[in-house]
Amino acid sequence: MPVIDLWAKDGYLSTPDGNSIYFWGFSKSETGPAQLPGPHIVARQGETININLYNTLTEPVSISFSGQSGIMADGQPVQPQYTDGKLLSFFNHAEPGGMVSYTFTPSFPGTFIYESGTNPHKQVPMGLYGGMVVRPADYNPDAREFKTAYGAGTDTEYDREYLLITWEIDPDMHQAVEEGKPYQVSKFLPRYWTLNGRCAPDTMLMDGLDYLPHQPYGSMIMGQPGEKILMRYIGAGIENHPLHPHGTHTRVVAVDGRLLRNENVDLSFKRFTVLVGAGQTYDQIYQWDDLGYTTQNPIPTILPNLRNMGVGDAGWTMWSGSPYLGVKGDIPVGVVSYNEFGEYYFMLHSHEELQITNWGEFPGGMMTMVAIYPSLSPAVGILE
Amino acid sequence: MATVIKRFGATDGWVSMPDGTDHYIFGFVDISVVPENQIFQYRGKATLLAPLLDVYEGDEVYLTLTNLGFPNRPDLDDTHTIHWHGFPNQIPLWDGVPEASISVPVGRDFTYYYQPLDPGTYIHHCHFEPVEHIQMGMVGPVTVRPKLEKELGLKFAYNDENTAYDREGLIFLTELDPRPHHLVANVQEFDWTEYSPEYWLINGRSYPDTVKPANDQSMPQQPFSALVEAYQGEKVLLRFVNIGFQQHCLQIPGVPLKVVGLDAQQLRGYNGEDISYWRDVIYIAAGQTMDVIFTAPRAGIYPLYNRNLNKNTIAGTEFGGMVTEIRVSPKP
Ligand SMILES: [Cu+2]
Ligand SMILES: [Cu+2]
Repeated sequence: MPVIDLWAKDGYLSTPDGNSIYFWGFSKSETGPAQLPGPHIVARQGETININLYNTLTEPVSISFSGQSGIMADGQPVQPQYTDGKLLSFFNHAEPGGMVSYTFTPSFPGTFIYESGTNPHKQVPMGLYGGMVVRPADYNPDAREFKTAYGAGTDTEYDREYLLITWEIDPDMHQAVEEGKPYQVSKFLPRYWTLNGRCAPDTMLMDGLDYLPHQPYGSMIMGQPGEKILMRYIGAGIENHPLHPHGTHTRVVAVDGRLLRNENVDLSFKRFTVLVGAGQTYDQIYQWDDLGYTTQNPIPTILPNLRNMGVGDAGWTMWSGSPYLGVKGDIPVGVVSYNEFGEYYFMLHSHEELQITNWGEFPGGMMTMVAIYPSLSPAVGILE
Repeated sequence: MATVIKRFGATDGWVSMPDGTDHYIFGFVDISVVPENQIFQYRGKATLLAPLLDVYEGDEVYLTLTNLGFPNRPDLDDTHTIHWHGFPNQIPLWDGVPEASISVPVGRDFTYYYQPLDPGTYIHHCHFEPVEHIQMGMVGPVTVRPKLEKELGLKFAYNDENTAYDREGLIFLTELDPRPHHLVANVQEFDWTEYSPEYWLINGRSYPDTVKPANDQSMPQQPFSALVEAYQGEKVLLRFVNIGFQQHCLQIPGVPLKVVGLDAQQLRGYNGEDISYWRDVIYIAAGQTMDVIFTAPRAGIYPLYNRNLNKNTIAGTEFGGMVTEIRVSPKP
């Protein structure tokens, strides 16, 4: 039986505008850093897993596993916890310094959130949440037919997959919790919005950077033309966020870990904006097909002299300087281009546009890019 | 298939609200047929909404953006772009994201090319510092008409006879927070996390202005009417667009609404199943579009308004805001 240890801890997250913000998060080990979001859990349909929660915080912590049933805590069915008749936790918790051991058997595949079930109005906005992916029972990444989100024959094959978890930060709340001061949740006013625990432009950086020890997950979506890129959205904040990828529509194949299908009727749909509600998950396939322009089949417009155009007004650009995939053009002198191989970048962001700022400054917040490379290693876009 | 050649100028201007207040905007103005030596007469004449881009499936569209500058803020040399929101399989060159390709400096032109293959309702907007340039007003509608219309000589939302209609209306939703408009006009910064709109607009106007005719002389920079008129029994297509920063919910009591399209996709399943549905209230998130058909009921006036009732106001006090009317006349 797979065993996963999660340690509830505190730490400091960093924002691109130089802020350092106290938070609570889950860690993989006793000595590891608190993580935002918590470590990804990858489980398998029908296979029982055991999750041990160790609590190093000063108040009880529990975990809610959305979409799962028959959860046991220390061998007994999970139950809400009360002290003196007052609700304390939605589920069995670990006392400060204590632990609780959960076991359950995911009965269907999909994307799920796990999050604190104790003082959740505080603990989830403080960072105690993470993403869980349940593989279908017949999952086999080495056989195309069986590398699916929902099982062979469900039309959910994919080439690469990415998790994108939305969340918001009100620094006043984090400061109040750090200082042990009261905080009125009704005054919640976010100044930062995150994807996978980072604000743009940090969202576009790699996983596992030394200088972001508490925020290990990047949000850059990478693939090739025509590939099926599975994007798993999770709404871990307390607000809804309309996520809009440029480049093309996504096909929504599942909501809340449930395949959009009734018997033989396929209920999946294409969208250019998906409103990710608090606590919801959306599984979608993004498939970008090239319009077919190459240096041999040129675009029907004339590319102007780039020195007369706005390129990299921010001092940097993701552009190659060329209209063509895999071709690098002449970026004006003085502009830093992060483009490597002539890949195409398409922004993916919240369309509540104030959320793509860091405390009001664009660019920032809930924004990342989809990068389409002329060719890309199959080792990119694997969730473990 | 036709070749469509259009030219939009990016500039600034002013809009007015029913309470007599004026608000500084950024926006676009249609200069497609203006001779080159006269385009500068259009500086300061941005419209809210930006011009409609109305094309057919398969058309080849050449849309030139000319940055005319801001005569009210000559110090501000912002570049601009046009982003066709929802265009499938776009390439970055024509996607209008400054961080991923080109933006257009003052005095320069750039031509975007599109060959839309999927009918439906889309949005165009500037993507330079989008929180500011969208709120300031650089937003407009895009409709792509299906080729079935040309084949049958009738009107359809999509390539499906079940989406036939007689008349269409645009319900294009935005909000206006007067503080950033005022601050931008006065060369000051706004903290966007404090965004809190006070005016609620359909087609760039607040009720009762929404029901005034198109191109009303009292609002030269707000040319779009939101009044919908039909004869009893006619099918009416409403194209809902939300390019505000909040979710909205619209209703027309007494008029059941059939949602036939979302985000420029007909509500058909993967294998053609009919997954359209009925609603009394249209919930629409920021950045979404919806195509809705209703049959005009008995003659009368049917108000369309926001069920977030706080948004049916002007500056938080008077009745107005995100309200318009469907006026149904008896069959001729
Ligand atoms: Cu965008
Ligand atoms: Cu602009």
